[in-house]
Amino acid sequence: MKRLLTGNEALAEGIIESGADVVTGYPGTPSTEVVLTLLHQKEKLDMYIEWSINEKVAFEIAAGAAWAGKRALVTMKMSGVNVIADSLSSISYSGCNGGLVIFVADDPGVSAGMPEEDSRYYAQLMIIPMLDLASQQECLDYVKIAFDISEKIGGPVFLRSTTDISHVASDVLLGKKLYMKRKAQFERNIAKFTKARAAWCMEQHQDALDRLEQSSEISDSYITESGIHINATHLAKNSQCGVIYAGAVQGNFQEILKKYNLDISWLKIGMVHPLPEKIIRDFLSIHERILILEELDPLIEKEVLRIAYLINKKITILGKLSHALPMIGAYSFKIIRKGVEVLLDKKIGTDKNIEKILMMANQLTIKRSTSFCVGCPHRGTYYALNKAIKKLRYKQDEVIVTGDIGCTILGMNKPFESCWTEVAMGASIGLAQGFKHAGIEKPVIATIGDSTFFHAGIPSLVNAIYQKVNLTIIILDNGWTAMTGFEENPGTIPFGKKNTSRIDIKKICKGCGIENLFIIDPYDAENSIKTLMKAIDYLGVSVVIARRECALQAKRRKKNTIKYVVNKEKCTGCRLCLNELACPAMIFFPKNEKSKKYMSINSTCTGCGLCQSICPLGAIEVKNNGN
Amino acid sequence: MEINIYISGVGGQGAIRLGQIIADYALQKSKKIKLFKEVGMAQRGGAVHCEIRIGNVFGSRIPPYSSDATVVMELSEGLKALEFVKPGGTVILNNHKVYPIDLMAQPEKYPEFQEIEALFKKTKAKIIWIDAKKIAKEIGLPVAENMVLLGTLSQILSFDKRVILGTLEKNIPCEIEKNLYAFQEGYRITKGIKK
Repeated sequence: MKRLLTGNEALAEGIIESGADVVTGYPGTPSTEVVLTLLHQKEKLDMYIEWSINEKVAFEIAAGAAWAGKRALVTMKMSGVNVIADSLSSISYSGCNGGLVIFVADDPGVSAGMPEEDSRYYAQLMIIPMLDLASQQECLDYVKIAFDISEKIGGPVFLRSTTDISHVASDVLLGKKLYMKRKAQFERNIAKFTKARAAWCMEQHQDALDRLEQSSEISDSYITESGIHINATHLAKNSQCGVIYAGAVQGNFQEILKKYNLDISWLKIGMVHPLPEKIIRDFLSIHERILILEELDPLIEKEVLRIAYLINKKITILGKLSHALPMIGAYSFKIIRKGVEVLLDKKIGTDKNIEKILMMANQLTIKRSTSFCVGCPHRGTYYALNKAIKKLRYKQDEVIVTGDIGCTILGMNKPFESCWTEVAMGASIGLAQGFKHAGIEKPVIATIGDSTFFHAGIPSLVNAIYQKVNLTIIILDNGWTAMTGFEENPGTIPFGKKNTSRIDIKKICKGCGIENLFIIDPYDAENSIKTLMKAIDYLGVSVVIARRECALQAKRRKKNTIKYVVNKEKCTGCRLCLNELACPAMIFFPKNEKSKKYMSINSTCTGCGLCQSICPLGAIEVKNNGN
Repeated sequence: MEINIYISGVGGQGAIRLGQIIADYALQKSKKIKLFKEVGMAQRGGAVHCEIRIGNVFGSRIPPYSSDATVVMELSEGLKALEFVKPGGTVILNNHKVYPIDLMAQPEKYPEFQEIEALFKKTKAKIIWIDAKKIAKEIGLPVAENMVLLGTLSQILSFDKRVILGTLEKNIPCEIEKNLYAFQEGYRITKGIKK
């Protein structure tokens, strides 16, 4: 049977078919939907699934389950691998008893912010085999292979996807479900599972290297249920040219072969670490010109250069290092076509010259700067913060406000432009301390969301308290990990029946000994401004929890929220509300022959009331029922 | 055989749902499919677009000048699709402008219909103007704008009407009757201008 599935949904299906026992993860675009898909069918799955507090904890839980002989998988975006790195190396060196698969989704072309890093380096660094996904079908098929390899070699296996695989939907053939219930069991083996002796550590190092070699042997002969070879070679007749590729580039490359009716030899690599050295060697020995297609860094290209050197053959190797292809971004149809043109040393595209039209279109296209969602509590917090700074007689460019990951960073957008920096999960609080120690005399303020605070903000908060840093920390607590699609976190109020116990950020702060702790309601602009002024003025660590549930989530549950309307008689069209709050529910009507200029609020209004509280003319009123 | 459909709009217009229904239709027809969705900032007034590729296709994105049907749900956003329009293909220009917040006070900066149309005319594609929002409003369900366009698309691309209607019903959570009516309207008004 075939179903229309995105890569991530197919991966979730693969996890179910693999008979996995434990699945954990931390949300991060473009990896999030794997766990989401599983959670939606949690009730009927015999599988433990959770959103963990951060990637490191998620990974350790999966590793523990795999050490107990079970099948476990953990999901994250590329930034998450940075977070798990510490535990990852130890667990890779020790190996595991059950199956352990680490799913990571990279984001070439940056669909969702964060550095465009290449997680394939981690496979090399950590001595872990890595399978690179090239289609949605592979997402399903390769989970099974990854578990199989992991169990055969006795160590973790990376499964790597990219945005173009994870977020694109395709017709995917479902496979057979494996039933493999085993008893949890962990045998004591101190020499394998601890690191306290040099001899043990070095033995473990050797073991990891041996496992890697073994995985290479296994992968060479693999064919999936739906007939995909992990490493596949196609030899064209009388072709001196060949393409070596891996990952998402497959789609556009095959598209080009079809569209321009080309027959070029190619070698598709499904296991990018360790590379199939013998297969590459054979491929190089029968071709004169080679093009390497891989997104992000030239890892395969460098290895191919090395292998070419070893076989002592003069081959032209084209790719990023030869400047045939760019180092950054996703590889579009056009980029790959250009690469193929360099390989064949001739033009294959016959595009009309419409550059001028495209330029004109580009100039005409209006830019859509994004704002907070309608009713977003963060709008109120940043509005109040800017006002508080102003009322304390500082200019906005005098008070450093560090931002953090998640929806809260949208405070860098117009009209607020509050956040100055964005680094990594939880980094706002650490950075802010650095600014103070460097000698910044004016106030420094850190802003962070609830999920980000749980993820990595707590240690830096503790540090700030311990070191008595003069700092204001605003925790924008909307109760959800909202940016990635409204996942729950330890602070989420458990609606309905849940087997979790909620942790209140207020209690964490109190427990750490914060004396100057304030709770504000971002919808109450006046009090929020006053409180923030007090907190900023305080000498020492002050924490302000701006607490109000994510408006989209609140709207999903409640039906009859109040709405606001503009009294057209009173409104002068001054646009103060629009300029200060930029709420997507606001519409401005300019003056015309029939009417004066005025503001209006559309039906998406969730009734936060901020605009009403700042309108100097009282022109914004509660909408009466049936009016 | 290959069909490429490019749909562009802004958050809330239902561009993604439209794409999903067409992709689901293709699945019912046992075709190979690639469905790309750009949703990023949809909730926050951002651009949304999707690309549906049906048939003997490999890449997730439509190659330049290959879109058989280009649905411009929001006029300015549609300009981003220009590069993909296939000469001889069809462009459906939906008469709908969504002003971003920073342009609200200067609506004159929004490009004119004529300017946008002139650029699309240069692609040598057939252009169909439609006011799907108005039609949907008249039906009493403004959000069915996308279903009007689905009707239009189904007419232009000669979809199997029975199957596409079945797919529509399966993918619409409520107000089925009005959505079906919106489809029929879009289907009806485009009759006679098949590709």
